[in-house]
Amino acid sequence: MADEAEIFSQLKQAVMEGDEDVAVAAAQAAVAAGVDPQRAIIEGLAAGMAEMGRLYEREECYVPELLVSSEALYAGLGVLRPLVIASGKAEKKGVAVIGVVQGDIHDIGKNLVKMMLEVNGIEVHDLGRDVDMERFITATQETQADLLCLSALMTTTMIAIKDYMPAFKTQLPGVKIMVGGAPLNQQLADEWGADGYGENAVEAARVAVRLLETK
Amino acid sequence: MWRETMTSGERMAALMRGERPDRVPVIPFLSGHAAVVCGQPIARISDDAEESFRCQLLCQEMYGHDGSPLYAYASAGGWEFGGEIEFPVKKYSGAVIVTRTPIQTEDDVYTLKVPEDVSKAGALPIALALARKQAEHGLPITLQIGAPLTWAGSVIGEERMMGWLIKKPELVHIVLDKVSQFLIKVAEHYVKEFGAERLLAFHGAATETNKLISPKQFETFSLPYLQRINQACLGLGVGSYFIHICGEQNKNLKFWQQVPMTKQTVISVGREVDLTTVMELFPEQIVAGNVDPTLIQEGRAEAVLAQCRECIEKAMYHKGGFVLMAGCDVPPHAPPVNVFQMVKAAREYGRY
Ligand code: B12
Repeated sequence: MADEAEIFSQLKQAVMEGDEDVAVAAAQAAVAAGVDPQRAIIEGLAAGMAEMGRLYEREECYVPELLVSSEALYAGLGVLRPLVIASGKAEKKGVAVIGVVQGDIHDIGKNLVKMMLEVNGIEVHDLGRDVDMERFITATQETQADLLCLSALMTTTMIAIKDYMPAFKTQLPGVKIMVGGAPLNQQLADEWGADGYGENAVEAARVAVRLLETK
Repeated sequence: MWRETMTSGERMAALMRGERPDRVPVIPFLSGHAAVVCGQPIARISDDAEESFRCQLLCQEMYGHDGSPLYAYASAGGWEFGGEIEFPVKKYSGAVIVTRTPIQTEDDVYTLKVPEDVSKAGALPIALALARKQAEHGLPITLQIGAPLTWAGSVIGEERMMGWLIKKPELVHIVLDKVSQFLIKVAEHYVKEFGAERLLAFHGAATETNKLISPKQFETFSLPYLQRINQACLGLGVGSYFIHICGEQNKNLKFWQQVPMTKQTVISVGREVDLTTVMELFPEQIVAGNVDPTLIQEGRAEAVLAQCRECIEKAMYHKGGFVLMAGCDVPPHAPPVNVFQMVKAAREYGRY
């Protein structure tokens, strides 16, 4: 069997360089070598994305690089994900609904969060941006989601999260709520009764997985 | 007791001439808020020139600040090039949203048309109607001439554009070229209708932030077009500029220095950029900033006053002049008493 560590490192590298073709080739190599596709996703593709997230925090890369990396990641996922599902071992960790609240169109951060949830085996329904309370509620009900993720990037619109919360609590019993976006913090999330908060996309995924496990 | 000895108009004129006015001028940076304090829907600021002008003037009178009415919004460009926007009519909405960008596919880039008659494109009829009110009242006549990358973002869609910066840079350059052509035509139109003398050309640079793009990307995709637009405006005789450098742009500042501008240029920065740094880089220009808009919305009046004082003490003796201003648009529902702290601080701590 080809060296697993070597394959993981190739996948990681492909994501970091934002090279879709290399990501696909490395994913195919992983399959050919009989590497566990789930592990190839987490320890290869997702690890590369997480590293990019760290570089972004340190201002060593910027959003264009993050987005191009995410395209490479999706390309690799296209090869590996069907195998995970076919293997029946697909431990779908849960279903999530995500969206940016009403009046707010800042969706770049939300899209990165969505991607990190997906690589961690969460099925994500994306409602886009400028989403009102009713749509969050109906979409969560219709998809029988376990987790509702709300993003807000402005102090004016983050108030929407606070306002929506009571209705979510009564109309979506048992659904965990995770919030994020630059003006929010753990303290506000706690005050408003959210179950989780994530400062960035990597943390968002960690928190989401934890929330779904403790559900 | 100390008293103001100048009207707002006189104060701003002195500032622009490079003289010290009676006190530090205050341009709070209000758009939707001006409608809120007049009991009007926020959308009126951007969808109705008459009402927008009226609310802004009443608001100025109430606070005693020095920023005369103007027309501008951050996501400009999308509508002008054939997309769709929504005025902030919904709950929580504070500003114009682009609901459909003119560009959806790569092919759209090639067919994208620079509007023939700029005066009829998108929000221009509203902007021009407001400019006529400015002219009538003898106020500075403002026109939005960028920033080009922020406009391109509204035309392409910011996220799509971010990906193209790396993978299809030539497409972004095509759009930037068309946007620049358009903005220069707008400037020509204003000069023809109002004369160059009283024009104040405005750049709102949001998508240029280093939260999104690298300084290298700024140098490649922003700087050349900023230079081209400003060079053209200078050629037309436009003498006054207002450049809002939004958010985190510390690494871009050295490139902003290379944009042609006059001494009668206000450089406005957000909380993320230190006033001292800007003062060093732009010794001849007027520096403006940088009270935290979130503090103005969420903080207590005492804390806002203290921060205003800190800004004033740091920058009031800047060679080129200083304006006390919020770091970005003040959230529409900010408590009026907090907004007023800016004027109060200028009267208390900003006397020359
Ligand atoms: C890009 C941008 C724009 C673009 C938006 C493009 C788009 N499609 O998203 C444009 C130019 C259109 C725009 C418009 C406006 N903007 Co703007 N914009 C920004 C900017 C520069 C960057 C935002 C961004 O994408 N960051 C990069 C991403 C990767 O980070 P992020 O969004 O924070 O997301 C991360 C985390 O927050 C977290 N996260 C995000 N969502 C979620 C959700 C969950 C569940 C979890 C767990 C985590 C999580 O994970 C993400 C990834 O790591 C910010 C400045 C800033 N410093 O943030 C201003 C900013 C957000 N904008 C602002 C404003 C005021 C506006 C405007 C009103 C106009 C104006 N005056 O500038 C309009 C309003 C439009 C509207 N109605 O929504 C202000 C908001 C002020 C405030 N506190 O209220 C900011 C802070 C600028 C400033 N200095 O004042 N903007």
